[in-house]
Amino acid sequence: MTPSEPVGPDAGPQADPVPATSPAPNDRRLHPWSWLFVLLQQLRQFIVPLIAAFFVGGDRNELWPLIGVAVLTLSSVMQYLTYRYAIGRDAITIRSGWLHRQRREIPFARIHNVSVDQTVLHRLFGVAEVRLESAGGQKPEAQMRVLRMDDALALERLVRHRGAVEATVEGVAEPAPDVLLEMPLGEVLRLGIISNRGVLVLATAYAASMQFSPRLVGGLFEHWSRVVFGWTSEHHFGPMQYGLAAVTLALAVLALMRLLSIVLAVLQYAGFRLTEDQQRLTVERGLLGRARSSVSRRRLQAWTLHEGLLHRLLKRRSLHVDTAASVSQGNGQQRRALRELAPIATPDACDALIEHLLPPDANWSGLDWLPMHPSSALRIFLGGAWFPLVVTAALCWQFGAYGLLALLWLPWSAYLAHHHAKCARYAINDRIVAVRGGWWSRHWRFAELDKLQALRLSCGPLDRRWGMATLWLDTAGATPGGTPLRIPHLPEAEARELLDRLARILAARKLRW
Amino acid sequence: MTDAATFPLDAPADWQPLPPRARSLFMLGHAASGLVLAGPALAFAFSTHWVSPLVAPVVAGILGAVLGAWIGAKRFRSTAWRLDDEGFAFRRGRLFFKETRVPASRVQHLDLRHGPLERRWKLATLVIHTAGSKMSAVSVTGLDADDAERLRDRLARQLDADDAL
Repeated sequence: MTPSEPVGPDAGPQADPVPATSPAPNDRRLHPWSWLFVLLQQLRQFIVPLIAAFFVGGDRNELWPLIGVAVLTLSSVMQYLTYRYAIGRDAITIRSGWLHRQRREIPFARIHNVSVDQTVLHRLFGVAEVRLESAGGQKPEAQMRVLRMDDALALERLVRHRGAVEATVEGVAEPAPDVLLEMPLGEVLRLGIISNRGVLVLATAYAASMQFSPRLVGGLFEHWSRVVFGWTSEHHFGPMQYGLAAVTLALAVLALMRLLSIVLAVLQYAGFRLTEDQQRLTVERGLLGRARSSVSRRRLQAWTLHEGLLHRLLKRRSLHVDTAASVSQGNGQQRRALRELAPIATPDACDALIEHLLPPDANWSGLDWLPMHPSSALRIFLGGAWFPLVVTAALCWQFGAYGLLALLWLPWSAYLAHHHAKCARYAINDRIVAVRGGWWSRHWRFAELDKLQALRLSCGPLDRRWGMATLWLDTAGATPGGTPLRIPHLPEAEARELLDRLARILAARKLRW
Repeated sequence: MTDAATFPLDAPADWQPLPPRARSLFMLGHAASGLVLAGPALAFAFSTHWVSPLVAPVVAGILGAVLGAWIGAKRFRSTAWRLDDEGFAFRRGRLFFKETRVPASRVQHLDLRHGPLERRWKLATLVIHTAGSKMSAVSVTGLDADDAERLRDRLARQLDADDAL
């Protein structure tokens, strides 16, 4: 589905402050069907207790679930009736609540991310769910469930122009946005092959099956064995046959996982399009449900370019970016903020995208990559050596001398450390700082100097032995488990110099986000 | 254990130590967390029957507290802060050395906290919030209460200056 961009007056790239027309506070409501979607959302939360009450309730009053649904419906309708929003000159005002009333002003300038999501049901009704997110916080500033699709897009455009344009005014057609990246079906299939989303589905299915019928997996194995070896030898399975069955089952599960991953990738990423319109980036994707989220270019914080083993085999990379709003992780909806600039693209396309989106003087492709401390391989090896030793000790305690076999892990980790140290590099110029790491699975992590928030130099006992230090650079919106922006194992003098230099640069530049 | 020579104080006058009163606070705080050792000792005593479950936690708790107080005293000695035109700097630890810099232009807001013991000794904890993620709150315990207020006012003034632009 291509978004039929409703026409509106062109405000120019820098929305100049319009003369104070002070529009009358004309309240708007959500879509008349919005109560239905609120109800569905609430039902989804209560679905398990409701079903349980329906089936397990048995001899008790079967009306309980119905009463529950009725109460939820009533509250949804009340929510619809009390929810109003008004668009002011530079802020959007939202009033909601019936007994407990709430009024919230969200200045357009504070909105970092706008997302417009449509599930299949939303598309049937021609509506969409809009979320306005500011920096930080766990919940979106405003969650409008639901608006008519063109209203939603108008609201998004309004935020883009910082409210300088009245949404309802029909005028000159906007210039078509520049398409920065599109993913044809072939790319989406590649993404499916690389991604491991299928694992999540299978793991969830496994957990659910253990919950409802613990014997299902064992039964499946038995059944599989029979399918593989036929019904004849039903009663005489030797260890050999069990082994074969296990291997084939594992292969089948792996194939199923890949297939699931591909299906999920097609569902989520079909029609992926990254566009740029007046300094604002918009990502649209999805086959059945469409997700659309947009963020201003200057709100991009730190970047991650990733190349795993499968990526390399297919000659692709993926490019992610942190936005300050992307910290918010609702239950299973963490992907709503714009995060993936290129879920998968050729290395050249990724580089071109980075060059285009970073400031012109960042000089991404001409960076001077510097090595870490000469002994960093030894440091990496020793830093991780305690783990095999602990495992060995534990195994020896359990199994005696056989546990010493685990020591074979040490040469392997030494080999890994050697390669990791060889690949690790960092680069810094007047505009950006970048770190490269990994060997099998490589990553580049970088940020504009303006986007750094705090600096830390750390130096542990092992580091001190060889005169090393690690520099941590903190940016907004970094995911807690993600790759940190850190320059590991630098010579200490170099690290100190870098720390002082960065502190000086940051102090001189104002925070822009 | 290395001494200060490993980390040449790049302008000794600049780095401010904590007031001597904070030493007791550090020792008490770390001693309290050392008491936690009593828990595993109790579990150990119950599972092995080598020592009486009455003796083990007491001994482990005392040992933990003494160890904690010792670490607290060391950590007190290694903690220092500095405020200059570039912003706030804070260093801590010898064995595990850490130096954190918060440029003045990156300060979002500031908290000043006074616990009951801190109030008694005229101390304060300053928490500097930034927009970052891992270091979104840099907290400095055991500052002199007046120093902490001065620090807060200095950093907050910078904040106002930035917003006015």
